[in-house]
Amino acid sequence: MKRRSFVNWGSAGLVALCSAVSVSLAAVLRFLTPSVFYEPPQTFKIGSPADFSYGPPTFLSEEKIFVFRDREKGFAVANAVCTHLGCTVGYFQSDDEFHCPCHGSVFSADGKVLHGPAPRPLEWFEVTLARDGQLRVDKDHTVPATYRLMV
Amino acid sequence: MERRLPQFFFALSLIVLALMLGAVWQAGTPAWKTYQQEFHRLEAVGEPNAAAKSDVLNADLVIRQDLLPGLQRVDRCTTCHLGVEDPTMKSAPQPFTFHANLGPHVPAKFGCTVCHGGQGLATDTQNAHGMVSFWQEPLLPREYVRASCGRCHKEGEVPGVPELTEGRRLFETQGCRGCHKLNGVGGTIGPDLTEEGASRRFPEWLERHFLDPNTVSRNSPMPNFHFTKEQARALTFYMLSLTSEQMGSYYSSVRSIPSAGYGRELFVEKNCIACHSIGGVGAKGGPDLLGVAKQHSPGWLDEQLVNPQTIYPGSIMPAYDLESNARKAILTFMASATAEDAQAILSARTKPLTPRDAAIEAGKQSFARFGCVGCHGLELQGGVPNPNSQGGEVPSLLHASDDYTEEEVVKIIQNGKVPPVENAKGPAAPLYMPPWKGVLTDEDIHRIADYLWSLQKKKDAW
Amino acid sequence: MNPIRDVWQSIFRRDPLSTDKGKSELVFLNVWLHIHPAKVKKENLKVKHTFYLGFITFFLFLILVTTGVALMFYYRPYPPQAYQDMKDLQFVVYLGSFLRNMHRWSAHGMVICVFLHMCRVFYTGSYKRPRQFNWVIGVVLFLLTLGLSFTGYLLPWDQLAFWAITVGTNIGSYAPLVGARIRELLLGGHTVGQAALLRFYVLHVAVLPAVVTLLTMVHFWRVRKDGGLSRPVWKLKEEKAAQLVTIGAPEPVAVLAAAPASKDKTYGLMEVVSGKPIFETVGMEEEEDTVFSYPYAFFREGVALLVTVATVMAVSLFWQAPLEQLANPAKTPNPAKAPWYFLGLQELVSHSALLGGVVVPGLIVLVLIAIPYIDPNPSRRPVDRKWAIRAFTLFVVVNVVLIVIGTLFRGPGWAFVPPWVHIVGGE
Repeated sequence: MKRRSFVNWGSAGLVALCSAVSVSLAAVLRFLTPSVFYEPPQTFKIGSPADFSYGPPTFLSEEKIFVFRDREKGFAVANAVCTHLGCTVGYFQSDDEFHCPCHGSVFSADGKVLHGPAPRPLEWFEVTLARDGQLRVDKDHTVPATYRLMV
Repeated sequence: MERRLPQFFFALSLIVLALMLGAVWQAGTPAWKTYQQEFHRLEAVGEPNAAAKSDVLNADLVIRQDLLPGLQRVDRCTTCHLGVEDPTMKSAPQPFTFHANLGPHVPAKFGCTVCHGGQGLATDTQNAHGMVSFWQEPLLPREYVRASCGRCHKEGEVPGVPELTEGRRLFETQGCRGCHKLNGVGGTIGPDLTEEGASRRFPEWLERHFLDPNTVSRNSPMPNFHFTKEQARALTFYMLSLTSEQMGSYYSSVRSIPSAGYGRELFVEKNCIACHSIGGVGAKGGPDLLGVAKQHSPGWLDEQLVNPQTIYPGSIMPAYDLESNARKAILTFMASATAEDAQAILSARTKPLTPRDAAIEAGKQSFARFGCVGCHGLELQGGVPNPNSQGGEVPSLLHASDDYTEEEVVKIIQNGKVPPVENAKGPAAPLYMPPWKGVLTDEDIHRIADYLWSLQKKKDAW
Repeated sequence: MNPIRDVWQSIFRRDPLSTDKGKSELVFLNVWLHIHPAKVKKENLKVKHTFYLGFITFFLFLILVTTGVALMFYYRPYPPQAYQDMKDLQFVVYLGSFLRNMHRWSAHGMVICVFLHMCRVFYTGSYKRPRQFNWVIGVVLFLLTLGLSFTGYLLPWDQLAFWAITVGTNIGSYAPLVGARIRELLLGGHTVGQAALLRFYVLHVAVLPAVVTLLTMVHFWRVRKDGGLSRPVWKLKEEKAAQLVTIGAPEPVAVLAAAPASKDKTYGLMEVVSGKPIFETVGMEEEEDTVFSYPYAFFREGVALLVTVATVMAVSLFWQAPLEQLANPAKTPNPAKAPWYFLGLQELVSHSALLGGVVVPGLIVLVLIAIPYIDPNPSRRPVDRKWAIRAFTLFVVVNVVLIVIGTLFRGPGWAFVPPWVHIVGGE
């Protein structure tokens, strides 16, 4: 066959091969993305609303969250992980503040940084009511500090 | 060839591309995604407004798993069985149906396979239900699922599963240990049953085996015990519970079920009636326990059981080493115990015996507990077929005194005995007397001999 | 001053491929391709001569390395997590089961193809002078391929894996003096356990692939230096025969049938270096017999690659690699069989441990390595080598028969049971 036609077919073949390669690259990326996580789940249930008292928040140590229950406004869940370098903050009822023991950051009751090295306010997680009546926390969704779940 | 080479190359490239796309399509369309989409459609029906509906319909399709390091399992059943904890799905079709009566056994803490069987790691129906070769724990049929309660709740009664208690009782009284070892104690003629629930988790096989061993296990030396269907089922339940679950501390701490029945068992086991009375019936060493649950808080009562010295320094009540659910069980029993209960407990106690009678009674209990009745019969009548042994069957023990002295019988129990063969050219007889030297103490063996001698029918009595 | 052209030229220094110079430069200015000659003889490209088995084996190796590295992201070589990871690959990882299948089927394919390649090299007499040592390297590569397959066989940690390796290492331990010690080193203990799994893993992903890569490089290099790819020299026309010159053959120059000849295709550079080259070269221009590697050789190799990849992918889409139940040291399956390529040995071992485990495999390896040095016949033409071909064919047939017996005709207790007889009561 003519050399030109040969090369044209050959080039077309190379193009097909290249598209196969790009599909492979996309597949490789998806392959490397984990489908399951060998970690505690990001979404979990914490119990029914009746289990939580009003007033100072309930601290759940394993999930590292504070559960607020307000008579008028309802439920809110704060992340107990300090935004500075990841230590677990503690709640002090006397001043209604969160204190971090590691470098002294202080947060107000709605998570704003009052002083200390923390760069951002504490995160608030979405809390919803599951169909079996339990509270469900989703750490993958952060919400503004004003978010409340009314039950 | 030269002419068509580039076309060939091009065609092959297309084929490879097509195969790649085929692989990507195969990986991207697993069945569980279809199930999840179907469930979202069902969920959307219950949503109040269009925005909520659309949120639900467009939710991510992900594999859901329950990580259970304490049970050494990973269960992905909730990837398809999405309605398990959703009461609005009571009448939804499977796999979305709501699971009633979960109680404390939520999937996040217990998964599904520890009760239902199946292959938790899998994400397609056939494999997940364990209906494949090389998976030893297929999904249990509905009527047997309650047997799994016994995998964790190994002591005490399990409310709602009387078959477990009955199965345990039958095992101890019908002489199974004579041929089968369980937790290190028993004979060696049949297989060790300590892990039977793990290695042979096939309830239909087990039940048929109990009804007639030879239908499922050809040429088995196990005699036909002529169990009723209910008894066979009870024993099957018990077999299914024989697994060694390696449980994290959370699970082992809540293992016993704090039911009143278990509390009564503990009350009898710890012999509380020796010092206490209920409604006036019983001993006077400690306070009467009628209505005690109303007089004190649960915390106070619990502390009393943990360490009586804290409440009453100088008390003679021992500190029993009971774990929290066992203590809860006793308190549950106390909440409803009456004088009638105390009377029943007292009457059930055995009367004092002469030393000789006590030895014979102990021998009789050992004879049952270590399974001798399995081969020699509940009335020592023998008769179990033993092909190619002299006599063709396991001998009756009622005339042992005609052929042996008591000392000779003790030696036989200690060292075992292989029955002489009828036909020297044929195979050895399958049943034999196992040696019990390492398992029974000499005292136990002498008591068994005493028991046997107490039952001998003398020739001249006829 | 075209900036795009400048960028392009900074990366690709060669002339355009439409020119002959460009075609040559594509080969000898390119780090990946310069193992090729710029031009090849047309006969080098004949499919029916080599079946491209060497290339196919190499491409299978590349598929194995790629899929292997992918699998390494999800596999932990510690029992029992190893088994759980196999299940995860099958059920949870995107393309996990496809990649695992590709890996397993390529592995079986590579063992078969490397053996077929060895057969082809023997049948075409391509191991003869000056290629004797390259044959030896090839035998070593064959043994390393078996080693890679064997070490990989254990990694799924299922009953099949566990007992196959138990049987295989036991066969190896029959070797005198060193057998037990080698087994101890391989297993890191007395039985197959977590130490064995870790050692096999390291051998499988690091040590053996590195050695195979290095030896493959030498193998390809020697192919070039020894005179290029194989071609059926005995088919050259008579008039050409007179023009061909022997390499290093004793005087006087003999006719083709008696003395094999290969024209060394060396680069011009080598002729400039002073001193005597190892092999005398007489450049005979045979323009009509040579073609540029690009596009002729490369496109053919591309086709071989695509056929290999397409076959492996197609098989992987439809056939699942086996995974039995979790390895259980307390429960031996009956029968317990070594991997299929060792079943011939296991069959022999069942008759005599010393014979089957030591003598026969040892002899086979030694004889294979020695073939080029003990073969006195300088001819490569099949009609001149009847006995050599018959002997080798016998060797191949015996091997295949033994493996077939071991696979299909041995049942529980290693009893002879034809595959069409159904065994009742098996597990």
